[in-house]
Parts: sequence; C-alpha cells; structure tokens
Amino acid sequence: MQIELFYSPGCTQCDGARTQLKAAALQRFPQVQWCECNVLEALDRAVELGVLSLPALAVNGDLLFPKLPTPQQLCAALEPLARDEC
Amino acid sequence: MLLNGRKQSMLTIGKLAALAQTTPDALRFYEREGYRLYDAEAARRIRFIKQAQHCGFTLAEIHALLDLRATDAACCGDMRKRAIEKKLQLESRIKALKAMSDALGRLIADCNQERYPLDACPILAALESAELTASNGAR
Repeated sequence: MQIELFYSPGCTQCDGARTQLKAAALQRFPQVQWCECNVLEALDRAVELGVLSLPALAVNGDLLFPKLPTPQQLCAALEPLARDEC
Repeated sequence: MLLNGRKQSMLTIGKLAALAQTTPDALRFYEREGYRLYDAEAARRIRFIKQAQHCGFTLAEIHALLDLRATDAACCGDMRKRAIEKKLQLESRIKALKAMSDALGRLIADCNQERYPLDACPILAALESAELTASNGAR
C-alpha cells in the first residue's frame, strides 16, 4: 500500500497530525509505503489526484481523504485494502 | 450626512473609486448599498478585494481572507495555505479546460471536410455517440 500525504510547507497545524497519522498507520500496517509530499514540489501529481484542499491523503493513487482523517479513520480505511493485498 | 468633525477624513464613493482604481458601480456591487461615505481604510480594503479577485478568489473567499487579516491569532502560514489551495483549484480547472480543448481538437481533426451534409457531420455524430460521453463525461 502506498500512501501519499500532501501538505502545505509551513503549516504548523498539520505537522502534529501528520506525525500521529504516520505512526498509527505504520504501527498497524508495517508494509505501508508512507510518502509525504510538499504540494508545491508535487503540484502536478496533486492536481492529477484531485487535491483541492490541504492537507489531503491518497491511498494507492486514490484521494481517499480530501481532509486529514483521524488515525482511527485511516486505519479503518486501510484494513480492507491490506486484506486484499494478502 | 456630512458631519463637520468627520468630513475631512471621509470620501465619496466616486473619490474612493478613483483612489482604488475601480468604478462606483463596482463599489456598489461590493457593498450592495446605495450612497454612503467611506473612510480612507476603505480604499485599502477595495484594492485588497480587487487584487484577490485577480488571483481567482471569489467574493465569499475574499470575505474569509479579510476576516483572516483581522484575526490576531492568524499568521502568514494561514494565508499561504489558502493561496496554495486556490492555486490547486486553478490548476485543476486549467487541466479540465485543457481536456475540453483537446476533445474539441480531436473532433475538429475528424471533420476535415466542410462540405459534408449536416446529417453526415462527424462532429455531430461524435457528440451524439456514447463513446465521447464515456471518455469525457466524468471530467
């Protein structure tokens, strides 16, 4: 599973949430490839995925969360995807 | 309406429009009101609105930006985040418009004979076909 988290550099509000999300996802699903993308450096990719607000999170190329989920919401969304990969 | 103590610092809508390099009609549109007097800060505010419109912000979004500007707890990062989100929206619209333009380009290329009767027009046929709807409808 590949997770792309698009963020706006300098947004202190999202920094803490990003760290929490990453820790929760990797603890439950160690196989996750976690990629944090500065939206200014990955603008084309963000537009391609339909990112319109920040921070946003895509899983396997699908924009599952236009706004950051809670760690519980993220893990719940990853659960069936992880099962499919097994 | 013109109070002596305030008269010097107040502007008519015409003077404000000149200062802000816009028209009285535009100011009336912004304010949705008739005749009134404005202070000099209004010129700065109107310039802000016009510049923000040039960057693609809607009036509702500009209202939020003005609120943000007046919020003590806000910082430059808050403004920057909104600017980046607006850029994402604009880039997304550009991408959609480019797809539309490309679709039209393909139709035009398919119709290289201007003397076809209308019922044999490839553009009309393509617009009516399910294939075009399927390939472009979701954008």
